[in-house]
Amino acid sequence: MFEVFEHTADLGLRVIAPDLETLFVDAARGLFSTIVANLEDVRPVQQIDIHVPGHEREYVLFDWLNELLYTFETSRLVLCQFQVRLTDQGLEGTARGEPLDPARHVLAHEVKAITYHELKVEQTESGWRAEVIVDI
Amino acid sequence: MAGAYTGPLEQVNDCCWRIPKSYKPGMRVDGLIYADDELIESIRSDQAPEQVANVAFLPGIQVASLAMPDIHWGYGFCIGGVCATDPDEGGVISPGGVGYDINCGVRLMRTELGFADVQPRLRPLVEELFRQIPCGVGGEGRYRYTLKELRQLMAEGPSWLIERGCAVASDIDHTEAHGRLDGAEPECVSVRALERGRAQCGTLGSGNHFLEVQVVDEVFDEDDAAVMGLRAGQVCVMIHSGSRGLGYQVCDDALRELRGAPAKYGIALPDRQLVCAPVESPEGRQYLGAMRAAANYAWCNRQLLMWQAREVFQTIFGSTWQELRMSLVYDVAHNIAKFEEHQVDRQKKRVWVHRKGATRAFPPGHAEVPDMYRRIGQPVIIPGDMGRASWVLAGQDGSMQQTFGTACHGAGRMMSRTAAVKHAQGRRIDEELAARGVIARARSWKGLAEEQPDAYKDVNKVVEVVHKAGLAKKVARMRPIGVIKG
Repeated sequence: MFEVFEHTADLGLRVIAPDLETLFVDAARGLFSTIVANLEDVRPVQQIDIHVPGHEREYVLFDWLNELLYTFETSRLVLCQFQVRLTDQGLEGTARGEPLDPARHVLAHEVKAITYHELKVEQTESGWRAEVIVDI
Repeated sequence: MAGAYTGPLEQVNDCCWRIPKSYKPGMRVDGLIYADDELIESIRSDQAPEQVANVAFLPGIQVASLAMPDIHWGYGFCIGGVCATDPDEGGVISPGGVGYDINCGVRLMRTELGFADVQPRLRPLVEELFRQIPCGVGGEGRYRYTLKELRQLMAEGPSWLIERGCAVASDIDHTEAHGRLDGAEPECVSVRALERGRAQCGTLGSGNHFLEVQVVDEVFDEDDAAVMGLRAGQVCVMIHSGSRGLGYQVCDDALRELRGAPAKYGIALPDRQLVCAPVESPEGRQYLGAMRAAANYAWCNRQLLMWQAREVFQTIFGSTWQELRMSLVYDVAHNIAKFEEHQVDRQKKRVWVHRKGATRAFPPGHAEVPDMYRRIGQPVIIPGDMGRASWVLAGQDGSMQQTFGTACHGAGRMMSRTAAVKHAQGRRIDEELAARGVIARARSWKGLAEEQPDAYKDVNKVVEVVHKAGLAKKVARMRPIGVIKG
């Protein structure tokens, strides 16, 4: 699950999940829910694969979200379903969605960037928790 | 929110507060925040002062880590922050001190029209601006350039647009740095950045970016206003945008490149977002080349936005833009780093001035102020919120003595985006604005809610501090009558 937390000029995403892979999936959903107001209406008809190398968890989360944002900006694909597998080499992910259709997709924010400010991925008693602030 | 700032804040005078460098081990200089008694209370309410203190860790920082009265909590640097570093003292360049939106800035264009000329046609004017000027998430523009052309545009800035029929020489003369930072290296801009920026030159974007039709509401200095071609009752156009996806990507690329720099150069930092490298390092030089290219792109973006606005006025008023005397008053950057000469400890020095949400405000007589404004000081354009006011100031001597030639850049947010949306539940912000005489069109309800006037500090109070501190003086105030937003 994810929630949006307050940050004066921008938006923060707080994600809580039982395991790391779900954490990355929910963070991606969180990101796209700030971009599109009606994410539930986006159809998963097109798929892309994303590979993120590295093993520092915070940077892997950052790079994963960054790749998704770049895909949205340059391929105009609105993404709604995600799968993640973490390996020793990094992250293997897939994302599904459909081309941006202004008639059906209600866009909410232009996310300029994912930031490193107070970026956190940490283990909790019941699983994992991440925080990331995006620049609006 | 991460809670209020609880560290020290000592009052220096009625416009300035100090965070002593003894506050945190690692601070190289004091922090100084320009604010009056009232503004400092809202500044204390979040972590922005902590960020002012963190910036004081940067190697080579000169005099103080400074903040303007519109300061608010950012990431890494606060918004409204100013920091000058000396390369001869190991000074660094920090992409976070410029921000993602490299050369985000504002321009003000005057017209010959009075309020009475525009009012009967205001709604069709705003509708046509909203139709013609691309804005909002994923907005693509009508200007398309090949990669080769894009690189030329970044090397030369808006003067490259003259032969393409989208700029005239006087537009360039009325733009900070003539719209071109020397030393731009388009080859340093990644393919990713080019891909993101390719279809976006001449688009507004979203967030706090806007295009406004405004009326000069009150003139505070008749002489200076006349030099700028402004008078009470006159209609103007203000444009706020930056370097779009291209600039965001340049910053992102640099931050990634610099992940290992603090360890490599032995720089201790309290926040990862402050990453930096010595100016004279391969990483530093690479960023500077790309940052300057992105800055030039941003000036082209605002030029193309202004050009499209001129075309809409022509359509609605049936006269050419020259007949309507729609000339640029000035264009200023408020997210940028520039190599400038300043006096530090009675010594002339060249320093890298980072302005993150802060505007250059050079005084009368300064060599970089264009001829037509040399006598009065550089115009400083301060956008406010969409319900209250925006300002034109003129740079004063105090800015050179106190803030590396800098003043504020806007009103400054007071309410978070989530709080603003909650505050707007059950309300129609557009209708409330209409009741105040402002026609607003936006791509998203949420965008309008987040940018509602209540989310911002009162720009008039921010400007008052800048005026009183002698950084820039009040020339004219404008009120919005038409707004388009992403």
